[in-house]
Amino acid sequence: MFKRADYVVIFFALLLLPYLYVTLWGNGSYGEQVTIRIANQPPQHYSLYDNRRITIEGVLGDNLIEIKGGQVRFIEAPCQNKLCIQSGWLRHDGELAACLPNGVTVSVSGRDNRFDAINF
Amino acid sequence: MKLTLQTTQEDHRIAWLAALAIAIHIAESVLPTPIPGAKPGLANIITIICLMQYGWRTAVWVSLLRVLVGSLLIGTFLSPTFALSLAGASASIAVLGLASRLPGIEFGAVGYSLLAAMAHMAAQFFTAWLFFIPHEGLLRLLPVLMSMAVFFGLTSGIIAHQIIVRIKAGR
Repeated sequence: MFKRADYVVIFFALLLLPYLYVTLWGNGSYGEQVTIRIANQPPQHYSLYDNRRITIEGVLGDNLIEIKGGQVRFIEAPCQNKLCIQSGWLRHDGELAACLPNGVTVSVSGRDNRFDAINF
Repeated sequence: MKLTLQTTQEDHRIAWLAALAIAIHIAESVLPTPIPGAKPGLANIITIICLMQYGWRTAVWVSLLRVLVGSLLIGTFLSPTFALSLAGASASIAVLGLASRLPGIEFGAVGYSLLAAMAHMAAQFFTAWLFFIPHEGLLRLLPVLMSMAVFFGLTSGIIAHQIIVRIKAGR
């Protein structure tokens, strides 16, 4: 039923599909910069590659944020749910964690932004 | 004054095959689809049969007539849908023309069908991207759409092959 040229076409088609999935659905690039936004204050920017711990004074109390080896996370939060801490390490371009009760968000951005805007 | 139109046997054949393709095209257009632009494209079967049984010229006629008459009957003539349809049909005919003229390489129905389906999808996608939705996000649809093109290309190719086998057997 198949001619030899058909197998060649099928082969390349089946090769093309994974290529498309990997290139267009890939996990995005690693971020380079951390932006910390605090309610009613201008955003603060840090490099994702300077290891440091930052204490942020928010609406409820202090957030402790750690930047280490190209990743960033919340360590301490004054809120109840600790959703920001459970967000874990952020490293990819466009990732974001928020401590809403405290009015603090941490987001990672790269050279080209992966998203224009994000809704939750 | 009575006007008679001289028609050849080929004209009649093209009309019959185009009518068949248009019927499939319209039947398909009422199927609901999960993603815009994703449909089986079973009219492709007719194009492949035309190409393999009667040559590329017939395939071009049948394919373009299908796009034109199909859009007139559905009511999408000169709309974006029509532009996408025409772009897809033109690309698949162009690719089929090339593929059937490659020296020393002979494709079967499945190979032709797969090439046509992928060319159709690629042309449609990039027409949509360039003219209607010039947004990077659209690229995220391409893997899914291309998977469907490959799947339905293979399916129509197998169907076309079976039909050609039966035509040749004279059934």
